[in-house]
Amino acid sequence: MKLSISRYNPEHDEQPYLQHYEIDLVASDHMLLDVLLRLKQQDNTLSFRRSCREGVCGSDAMNINGRNGLACITRTSALREPVVIRPLPGFPIIRDLFVDMTQFFKQYESITPYLVNDDSPPEKERLQTPAERDKLNGAYECILCACCSSQCPSYWWNPDKFVGPAGLIQAYRFIFDSRDRATAQRLDDLGGDPYRLFRCRTIMNCAEVCPKGLEPVRAIEAIRLKIAQVPVHPGGLDMHPPKSPT
Amino acid sequence: MRSTRPVFLNLTQIRMPVGALTSIGHRITGMLLAAGVPVGVFLLDRSLQDEQGFADVAVLLGHGAVKVAMVLVIWALAHHLLAGVRHLLSDFDVGSPLRLARRSAWFVNLGGALVATFAAGAML
Amino acid sequence: MRPRLTGLAAWWVQRASAVCMLLFIIFALAAFALYPRHSYLEWRSWAGSPGVALAILAFFAALLLHMWVGLRDVLLDYAKPAGLRRLLLGGVAGALFGIAVWVVLILARLQT
Repeated sequence: MKLSISRYNPEHDEQPYLQHYEIDLVASDHMLLDVLLRLKQQDNTLSFRRSCREGVCGSDAMNINGRNGLACITRTSALREPVVIRPLPGFPIIRDLFVDMTQFFKQYESITPYLVNDDSPPEKERLQTPAERDKLNGAYECILCACCSSQCPSYWWNPDKFVGPAGLIQAYRFIFDSRDRATAQRLDDLGGDPYRLFRCRTIMNCAEVCPKGLEPVRAIEAIRLKIAQVPVHPGGLDMHPPKSPT
Repeated sequence: MRSTRPVFLNLTQIRMPVGALTSIGHRITGMLLAAGVPVGVFLLDRSLQDEQGFADVAVLLGHGAVKVAMVLVIWALAHHLLAGVRHLLSDFDVGSPLRLARRSAWFVNLGGALVATFAAGAML
Repeated sequence: MRPRLTGLAAWWVQRASAVCMLLFIIFALAAFALYPRHSYLEWRSWAGSPGVALAILAFFAALLLHMWVGLRDVLLDYAKPAGLRRLLLGGVAGALFGIAVWVVLILARLQT
């Protein structure tokens, strides 16, 4: 397999450059991550994040042949060669395929990503019907891999002001959680200025690349409708369950 | 340190799915139409001024180069309008799941081109 | 950011004005297809008739509002320095206001 991988060492490189590799595939090279790990045996300076190797931690998000995805669930058989691998677009590059996720996580923190409920705590759990719990399907599965936000042009132009699809789908997860009591403040925060939510142009790149099959764009639509008090899906959308990695 | 880190943002190397093309087309056609509005108002003004003005506008619209520009404007309007309706519908959750959205994006892109082709055929 | 045209208000204006214009465009296309006005006098009397003049005015009101929201979106996205952005927004607002005045004058002239 022929690959061209973006390399950058801040200590002696001015700009990132593509380095070409060639490696013979073996039977166990089902996923791109398998190939990258064996490449690292060839060239141990090649740097990238990875952990779970099964599509749930989100560490190995990268731009593969122009499209963001997780290396560990990207089938090698589906890749056109030479496979061009670059870091996530729009994010500052620390080294090779490592990007700085600080801004991304700041946006996530800014949407208050935890349940706010000051009612006196019940004996056991805060109860929720199965129907209410189903409202979170299609949003709670987000693994914060950043594939969506880094493929979103609106996020490229204003990563500091636009929350981005990942932050917004997480905001959805709390806005439509029946146990949360801060809905009004959350909606005010997102709807109160022209940037935080309203930069979304429904370009839909986010839904195209989400490795978990989620559709942040629809979550954003639902929040927008709730802010506008339009009675379409007031309880949240029925987002179909995410597709399986294979 | 952060501000000196390079960023990968070469648009020619990033895949643009069909919906992204519809969307950037929506923005570009919007700006084109905006630039055309003062021209349109000028033509309105001239054509309603007097007999001579009306005749002048009729002659102007007969010029080959102007006709080509008109086809461009008609394409811009068709694309912007169709993409806009698609946006309006998806705002209210009509046709917004990914599969449907891709199909409607194709429809918009091709529809605009089709209208432009008809216009070109009728005018040129 | 000034609180006047919040994200939500702008979003509504853009959608509402779009629908208004869509209706007008359909009406105008039908009108021109069914009754092409070939002479200056036909054109002038049609455009000057009170119903049509009002419709044209309403169309331009919707158009200019729609253009304002759209162009503002483009500037919010790409014009990063706040000072430059405010300057450009002011320029766009001025130009749109100028066009509004121009259209009103054109239509007013028809009534004389």
